[in-house]
Amino acid sequence: MRALSRAISAPPAVDSVPTSSPMAGLKWRAVGLVDVLAQSAGAVAPTAAAASIPALVVGQASGSSPLLCMVVAWLLAGGVCAAVSQFTRRMRAPGSLYTFTTKGLGPHAGFAAAVALLIGYGFVAMFSLVGAGMYAQNLVSTAGVPAGGWGAAAGVVLFGAVCFVVLRRGIRISARVTLVVELVAVALMLTLLAIVLPRADPAAFLRPITAGVSGPGHLAAGTAVAMTAFVGFESAAALGREARRPFFAIPRTMRWVVVAVGFTYVASMYIQQVGAESFGFPLANDDLAMTQLAAHSGVPRMGRLLELGQATSLVACAIASLTAFSRVVFTLGREGVLPAAAGWTDPLLGTPLVALAVAVPATVAVPLLLLVGLGWTPWHAMSVLIVVSAVGYLTAYTLVCAAVPAFLHRIGELTPRTGILAGGVAAVLAAVVGVYLAVIAHTQSLALWLVLASGALGLGLYAWLRRRRPACLAGMGLFDETTVADLLSAQPIQDAGRV
Amino acid sequence: MTPRRPDLTGRQPNAVLSALSVLEEVARVGPGVTAQQISANLGLPRATAYRLLNLLVQDEYLVRMPDLSGFALGRKVALLAGLSARQESDRAIEAILAKLRARIRGGVHLADLRQGSVRFLDVDEDFPLSDPARIAADPGVSALGRLLLAEQACPAGAAPEPYAVQVGALIPGFGCFAVPIRDPAGRLVAAVALALPAPRLAAPAHLVGLVSDDVPRLAAALEARP
Repeated sequence: MRALSRAISAPPAVDSVPTSSPMAGLKWRAVGLVDVLAQSAGAVAPTAAAASIPALVVGQASGSSPLLCMVVAWLLAGGVCAAVSQFTRRMRAPGSLYTFTTKGLGPHAGFAAAVALLIGYGFVAMFSLVGAGMYAQNLVSTAGVPAGGWGAAAGVVLFGAVCFVVLRRGIRISARVTLVVELVAVALMLTLLAIVLPRADPAAFLRPITAGVSGPGHLAAGTAVAMTAFVGFESAAALGREARRPFFAIPRTMRWVVVAVGFTYVASMYIQQVGAESFGFPLANDDLAMTQLAAHSGVPRMGRLLELGQATSLVACAIASLTAFSRVVFTLGREGVLPAAAGWTDPLLGTPLVALAVAVPATVAVPLLLLVGLGWTPWHAMSVLIVVSAVGYLTAYTLVCAAVPAFLHRIGELTPRTGILAGGVAAVLAAVVGVYLAVIAHTQSLALWLVLASGALGLGLYAWLRRRRPACLAGMGLFDETTVADLLSAQPIQDAGRV
Repeated sequence: MTPRRPDLTGRQPNAVLSALSVLEEVARVGPGVTAQQISANLGLPRATAYRLLNLLVQDEYLVRMPDLSGFALGRKVALLAGLSARQESDRAIEAILAKLRARIRGGVHLADLRQGSVRFLDVDEDFPLSDPARIAADPGVSALGRLLLAEQACPAGAAPEPYAVQVGALIPGFGCFAVPIRDPAGRLVAAVALALPAPRLAAPAHLVGLVSDDVPRLAAALEARP
């Protein structure tokens, strides 16, 4: 240990380590493990997903075992989680998946991932605001107050304002509330499922497990929809700078969330199928499966409670998704891809103020246009928005998995096992995205048009950047680098002064 | 020291020894050593070496260089040397500053002045410095720098300045106020600075009273440093 003792008594000078991080301004190491966990769990919104996704999967799988689709999606989410962890163990990046993709595949693929990620986070935030508005409207009208057609739109504006206030103040308080709400709601749902089981027809118990596979296309379509239940778990990565012990907290959080929500979804899928068969109601494309289950099991009040749980879960999902969205916009601002103002932070609160001021109004404006301008029902708007978001997420996942082997090779840490796993997951995901696009071309052409329009917007910005700002494009991939304060040569007391 | 090639695996309890030998290897080769070099030099299987390196990075004994492929020793390695007098002194200073910050509605910074320039020891994270480069380069723009200038201009035997004030030199409408911290021999070693809006800087004598209890404590804590 001679060299080590020498280094401790006279720390070596280290060149090429900057004195401040390109991400300076975002609060440094402000949130603990619980808050990071809440960010991931909030963005996944397991209560809302476990209640509504099984019916959507049954609708898409058409004959193939929906339970199998859910299990395959769980495995795929696990693969994405392992791939993303290769990055989150090595770098802290508020730009999360798009910064990782840039580090592996370069700025062009990175830009595509940024657009995909913004579509994913942005549209799921819009979906959540509309959903929360819809449930709030239902609750208000149940209480006897006539809400009218404007109720959901008013809810969107109200919850959008709540999101802005919470996000500007910093995510700590909201994160903890989110976690408690999600835990209570998931516990309620698992209780309901446990109540359903003894009342169900024993003959139906084996049916979900023995269901066959009607074809690879249906399996892929069902899996794609089932994947949408998992999306958001990776959003903890956006807190790279803000989390304490980020290299510990972020990979673990993602793993725990994928394992825990996967279990909840598989259980929920199984029991909803058993229940629907026993009580004789159709499961496909029914947004009220849980309420029906509760009513048939003789506990209708529990269904109402769960609706409240879903509403709060959706507000939490909007907050968590906007947190990640704003960090992506913030990083793009710092890189010069978006106007530099997007990279400004509130000097006292350490939150990306301008990015939030752009992101929140935008996610309120689009739902308003759909609900008020086009006169869509909230459920119709939600079903379109979630599909657009899913395409964005799945594309970003595919790109980040494909980036793993290139990234690890570049830094000289590629092992065959990791390379093959990440490459395999990327290939399967690419196939799933392809099938999903083909499916929505038939069933959700509006969503496909929205995807294409958002993609075209991204492509336009890309073309403009290539012509006018090639340096900004080439400079993508900024992250929260090691600074001199992290080195052995730093004085311990500098910790408090880190800004 | 010649590189040792012990038969190491990633399993307990050898993992601890492996981790220490990885740290030793980073210290021996120097900043920028790559995972492949460490694995080759120590004869560790690559997957084991990468896992150990990621664990050491996770707990900040090691840090990755900005290129992400090189490693350097992290701050936490200092803990391996045991609790030094310096760390105890740092803790005492942190405690004093935390109380001061809770009391004063403004920024509280501590700077070392022994080298004849302003070297910040502790910057208030709620009130970041407006322009650290300019403060370092030009002593005339900060109260801390002005304290230094006054000390250098002070003739031997004359009474030193009890404080220095700067208003509007960095940000219009804001300024700062600095009180000297002296060692037992009366030499200027450090200073505590308060960053405040201009109106609150109008009565500096009152501000001296606000920090008069903390200055001797900070002096004692700084004195304990090696």
